[in-house]
Amino acid sequence: MLRKSVFLVVVLVVLGLGFNAFAADKTIELNFISWSYGVETVKDNISKFEALYPNIKVSYSDFSWFDYHDIAVQRFLANTPTDVMYGSDHWLQEWAAANWIVPLEDYFPDFKNYEKEFAPYAVEGMTYQGKLYGLPYYADMVVFLYNKEMLKKAGFDNPPQTLDELVEQSKVLKEKGICKYPLALCFAKNEGQSIEIFTSLVYSFANGNMFDADLNPLFEKDGAVYKALKFLYEALNTYEILDPASLTWGEIDLVKSFGAGNHAFTFVNKYNLAELNNPAVTNLAGQFSIALFPGETHSCVGFVRFYCMTNMAVKRGKDVIDACGKFLNYFGGKTDGTYVVPKRWALEKGLGFAQLPLYDDPEVVNAINQWGNVDIEKEQAKLARAKQGMTPFYGTWDIFMREQIHKALLKEISIEDALSASAKYWNDLKQKFGKK
Amino acid sequence: MFMREQRFSYLLIFPAVALISIFTIYPLLYAVRTSLYDIVLSMPFMKPYVGVGNYQAVLGSYYFRGSLLNTLVYAGMSVCLVTLLGLGVSFLLNSPFRVSGVLRILILFPWAIPFVVSGVIWKWIFNSSYGVFNGLLYTLGIVDSYVSWLSHPFYAKLCLVTAHIWKEMPFASILFLAGLQAVPRELFDACRVDGGTSWSVFRYVIFPLLRPVLLVVVIYETMIGITTFDLVYVMTGGGPGDSTSLLSWYTYAETFKFLNLGKGAALSIILALLILAIIIGYIRVIRLEEVY
Amino acid sequence: MKRGSFVNFFLVHILSVIVLLFVLGPFIWIFLCSLQGEADLFVVPPNWVPKRVILDNYRYIFTGEIPTAYEVRGLIRSRISQEARYILPTLLNSFIIALAVMAINLALASPAAYAFSRFRFTGKTPLYIYVITSRLLPAMAIAIPFYFIVQSLNLLDTKLSLILIHSVYTIPFSTWFLTLYFGEIPRDVEFAALVDGCNPLQAFFYVLLPMAIPGLSAAAAFAFVFSYSEFLFSLLITQTLKSRTMSVLIASLANNPDVSYALLSVCVVLAIVPLLLIGFFFRNYVTKGMTITIFK
Repeated sequence: MLRKSVFLVVVLVVLGLGFNAFAADKTIELNFISWSYGVETVKDNISKFEALYPNIKVSYSDFSWFDYHDIAVQRFLANTPTDVMYGSDHWLQEWAAANWIVPLEDYFPDFKNYEKEFAPYAVEGMTYQGKLYGLPYYADMVVFLYNKEMLKKAGFDNPPQTLDELVEQSKVLKEKGICKYPLALCFAKNEGQSIEIFTSLVYSFANGNMFDADLNPLFEKDGAVYKALKFLYEALNTYEILDPASLTWGEIDLVKSFGAGNHAFTFVNKYNLAELNNPAVTNLAGQFSIALFPGETHSCVGFVRFYCMTNMAVKRGKDVIDACGKFLNYFGGKTDGTYVVPKRWALEKGLGFAQLPLYDDPEVVNAINQWGNVDIEKEQAKLARAKQGMTPFYGTWDIFMREQIHKALLKEISIEDALSASAKYWNDLKQKFGKK
Repeated sequence: MFMREQRFSYLLIFPAVALISIFTIYPLLYAVRTSLYDIVLSMPFMKPYVGVGNYQAVLGSYYFRGSLLNTLVYAGMSVCLVTLLGLGVSFLLNSPFRVSGVLRILILFPWAIPFVVSGVIWKWIFNSSYGVFNGLLYTLGIVDSYVSWLSHPFYAKLCLVTAHIWKEMPFASILFLAGLQAVPRELFDACRVDGGTSWSVFRYVIFPLLRPVLLVVVIYETMIGITTFDLVYVMTGGGPGDSTSLLSWYTYAETFKFLNLGKGAALSIILALLILAIIIGYIRVIRLEEVY
Repeated sequence: MKRGSFVNFFLVHILSVIVLLFVLGPFIWIFLCSLQGEADLFVVPPNWVPKRVILDNYRYIFTGEIPTAYEVRGLIRSRISQEARYILPTLLNSFIIALAVMAINLALASPAAYAFSRFRFTGKTPLYIYVITSRLLPAMAIAIPFYFIVQSLNLLDTKLSLILIHSVYTIPFSTWFLTLYFGEIPRDVEFAALVDGCNPLQAFFYVLLPMAIPGLSAAAAFAFVFSYSEFLFSLLITQTLKSRTMSVLIASLANNPDVSYALLSVCVVLAIVPLLLIGFFFRNYVTKGMTITIFK
């Protein structure tokens, strides 16, 4: 009898301990970094995520967009704990080649199913050597914005459809004194957007390509790249319709100047239109519109910024990988059948998204039409293309290319020389990196 | 007369030297070692030893000559202007009037604020749409519409230099003031009694006695001029084109943007050697027997 | 003679005013900008006298109360970034770090300077040169190894790491400066004390240091200013508000679309305030300290 009860007690104790071990709160801490945009919203999303998964704690840091890449590099070099983070399509090659971030489909095969619901240019931007490396945070395009009121004052009912028309309309606007510099861009040397805007111009020409399938630069005379640079050169120097300050403007400066009613045309990220047409912000709201990118093809650049997982996280073990998977799925994937976080960004801030099903959501459609135009947006998305030449050395070449573009625009060197120097630099880099 | 307490002296200098050494020897060795290898972060599996290969690559790279020229011109202009203006202002500070006392206190403020803040302030002043510099010129009727100063390669350099001397000139002027105040009055009077004009007083009395201070100012300002990074980073980002891309900016770019640690380290060491060479040159020219 | 001094008087005052305008002008302008809303700043030509004095931006920084009028918020951006409110904690960080660096400099550099200026020992000259030239290598070259050192000491994202790094950077100059300074102070009083039976350490503390206060103040001020201004290492090593410094924050705010120029001006003004405090305390000593130092 005693032996039986002792046995029972032992079994209960063991069960109790075992139960405790199971119920034991194994809190997993994830380190998440991003650039400083909408930090309050990100933090709110994080708390919602933590409420959903109480045993995961997210430690979050944000950095200025201009420093983000360099700080990320520093962290990778020194193995500062980072598990999930924002990435961008133009760094993907660099970071994947250095083995700093890992292909998601190797750890979460389900994510592959999401691909068919993402816009093609976004998938392209997140894929390296055939594998998916991220889930979209936001995807957007470089679009053409114009000031309706100004055009009306000048007597134009419709926005320009080609670059030549843009020049003609600008000349009229200038002559009539409606604005001094009808066209403005954000071409500061440290503005990462500038190469995307330039590439959009290239794409707008028929057969517009920066590189061919073998990654050879197509910078020959009278090619699309040449024509794009020539357009900018003439806009700045010959017709004087491009504001010279564009060479010092980052995106913010450009948007402030455009929104103050100083210019009629610009090429910039679409989400800025949401702010420009927000009546709570400015009394010029409603004057700004989107139109298809002027040019023969109406094509433009689409880019994607995404959530990715680092090699450091993988090294931490299965639990962390699981937690990362949940994080990535909550932020970039579906929860209960809806893309919760991308939808929130779209509704609250007008950020673009790569998750196509959201276009069928009436709430989203309504929200977009408040400041933009869903139909034009969808049409433009079909024509958008990802950037070409995504390689580990794209970033290095990018800085050189920006310098050459500036120098050509400032008349320090000729357009031909700028492009041939840029092509040579690209080929040298290609050779060096190909020598693996 | 010096005391001969060996052990005690070592004890006195030990903390300082130890701290410096930890943070100097290892980084120096690391930097030299890195510069001898071809380390590019996006090709992590190949780190061949290249000896002086990185140095050759840097010296022959597309940016080196232009950037070196820009850096020397920038440093040269800054040092000259800072020294001359500092010297001039120091005479003002040395005058017996009460205003000088006020000036002495207020003048150090630009020097005390970070380069980053100074860059932000001056970038706003030179702003092409709403800056106060343009406003001033416009109100005075010198220009009839705002000019985008920072987008002209030449003017952008001038803007940088202006921000630089605004910050550094006060420091130089205080140092020169110190030197001036050390000049004994008798020498002044003696020279005047002998029939000297102000210029000869300056040339034969003041200038020779200011030589030590001049050396300090010139060396320090050269170092600052050549290694300026914060100001360029914030005000122009190296643009437009490469007109304000100084060597220090490329050192940063090589390491953090091009991810080429080998070349970044090589360029930094080249910069350090450049500074050393210039300093030795100065000491030779100004020919002082002792620096301490 | 009288005429000469009148011209002198006139010249000195006019030039002083010009210099003062150049030196203080930007500060005054930024201060005026901080008192207005951004819409008032976006006018051509600028309002030389602010049309409306708005303290909303200051109130926002200190209390978090978001200004309502759009004129104040800033053109185009309806959101005001919380980041601007970080200026107060980061200022505190910068201030604490700079004070610590100042203290360390005095504690380590003055004994070293005492040794270099008063003693003769083997290896004195090479050591002296070693200490002074250790600063020649540009920051960029050593940024990454510094990062490694700090990380291996487990000090990443702490104020202590920045205190160490800044001290390393300032001690060479302080040592050099104080060596020169001590060198100019007559040794009679010290020798008298030594003869009376003090040991060198007591002579240092009780005799030399009190006489050297102006120079020490100057060295302390240099160290403080350098640490307060430092940007590169702070950028790379600080990650969270725990250790982020003012210079990193201001650079970040300058590129933050949700921070209007007026708000940015407020942050700049606040960043200058600690310097005013230090300047006030040291005003008599800095100039005097430098005065005695360098003459033959």
